[in-house]
Amino acid sequence: MTLSEPFRTLKWATWLGWQIESNWADVRLFLLYMVLKPVSGSMMLVMMFYAAKYITNGRVPTEFLPYIYVSSACYGIVGRVMFGLSNVVISDRENYRMLKYIFISPAQFQAYFLGRGLAQAAEGVLGAVITISVGLLIPDVRRSVNYGAFDLGWLIVFLSIGSVMLWACGMILASAMLNMSRSGTFLSEGIAGVVYFLSGVVFPITVLPSWLQPVGLSLPTTYWLEGMRRSITGPAPEGSPLSKSPLASWSNAELAGMLAITTAVLVVVSQLFYRRSVLRAWRRGKIEEATGM
Amino acid sequence: MTNITPFQLFYRAAQARTYPRIAWMYRHKTWIFQETLLPILSVSALAFVYEWMQAPREYVGMVILGAAMTAFWMNVLWSMGGQLYWERDSGNLELYIMSPAPMMSILTGMALGGMLMTLVRAIAIVSAGMILFNVEFAPTSWWLLALVFALTMTALYGLGAMFSSLFLLWGREAWHTVNLLQEPVYLATGMNFPLVALERVLHWFIPAVALFIPLTAGMDALRQVLFRTPGFIPLEWEIGLLAALSAIFLFFAKRTLAMLERKAKEQGTITVKWK
Repeated sequence: MTLSEPFRTLKWATWLGWQIESNWADVRLFLLYMVLKPVSGSMMLVMMFYAAKYITNGRVPTEFLPYIYVSSACYGIVGRVMFGLSNVVISDRENYRMLKYIFISPAQFQAYFLGRGLAQAAEGVLGAVITISVGLLIPDVRRSVNYGAFDLGWLIVFLSIGSVMLWACGMILASAMLNMSRSGTFLSEGIAGVVYFLSGVVFPITVLPSWLQPVGLSLPTTYWLEGMRRSITGPAPEGSPLSKSPLASWSNAELAGMLAITTAVLVVVSQLFYRRSVLRAWRRGKIEEATGM
Repeated sequence: MTNITPFQLFYRAAQARTYPRIAWMYRHKTWIFQETLLPILSVSALAFVYEWMQAPREYVGMVILGAAMTAFWMNVLWSMGGQLYWERDSGNLELYIMSPAPMMSILTGMALGGMLMTLVRAIAIVSAGMILFNVEFAPTSWWLLALVFALTMTALYGLGAMFSSLFLLWGREAWHTVNLLQEPVYLATGMNFPLVALERVLHWFIPAVALFIPLTAGMDALRQVLFRTPGFIPLEWEIGLLAALSAIFLFFAKRTLAMLERKAKEQGTITVKWK
């Protein structure tokens, strides 16, 4: 095996992943899909904000809107990568019946998953950028975003570490799927749901019951989302309920450090679990098994 | 050879397609976790959003109702809309077309089985929501609630039956089209917020058009019955609209299925896999 083989696998897997995600329709329809889906998800939260603001006679603080909007846009990347990687196993194994051929080919199996994950991540990042851009058309979002606080450097740092974190999570799920039937997609849906609930995506973790807050603080996605929000909209305004979050007093370096440490742990766990899962799946014939319903 | 009436044939075929879905519930126990506990997580997240914003308790009730109805919409899209597409891949579609049973009976069975499964999920979501968030569901009239729910389901599954033929004709785009019809529909139908909010923030035209999706009118009517909140249009109009949509979608479902069967027999390409 030469040094270039994993990169070649990575390159072609990324290309294949992008083709699968995009070549089902012409460019215009694909772009419409890329805009409508993520924007609608975030706009639903915007409508909830306005509904609550109207019924409470305007008592909902305006800074809540960019909080939930930016968070949900970034969460789209989480869902795409984590759910996407486990879905790769199902679609390649059961629909296209080609996973076994990838396994026995000279291609690096893990590099293949990484490539497919990169394609998903690219789609997720594109969706997030489109969502945030469209969000700036909403007057309240535009007015309450602190443009001076936008920090490209920290955004790149959090995006980079976060990409590794999401890939590690996705690999854990994909490795589990290698030994599960098609109906095992509940696992990735469940993890996505837990992250959505506990990581402060649509509300600060201070809203959670006190016994659940430590669980939220143990998730790397909590630090990642906080870092992404701060890089894009800046820290919570003084005196706002958002400034009461336990992470509000952390600096960007502390957030990035904690994210890096939890990501490193996840990477080690994902590698160990991946090797064990592949061996188990190979021995039990799961790599070529079509499980149907 | 015993004589079998068209009604008996319809009933037996529908029963045969309902049975696998019921049997799946007994054989694959993961649905207890997947179809009940997981949706409660997303319900809880959105319920906490309203609690964080100090909205009235009935808004939390709207989130719970929205989650329960989302289950039906997802079932209509995936178990009805995409089903014939996947049946083609597994080789069953040509058997359905060749068999003497009418395709409507096949879809009726799929609808009934899917509805039963989803009803269990919806009941679990509503029950958990009521207990966890102390939300009270006190309809103005239980008969009215049953009528609105029944009309909503009939219209919704009629739409699903129509989708099933259309998605099959659209080919590989079907999966992505089904995917595309999730979040935009949640937004347009006011899944987690009163429909009047769309009118206030955007334009009355958007919810007016969205009313032709059965979920929109159904949810708005259910909110009026359950929470006594003002609807986008009066309740009586929404009941009338749902009845009309039921008839329209069932009629077009029958027409598109007939077109599908004729196309399958004439062209022979519609049952080709991975098309």
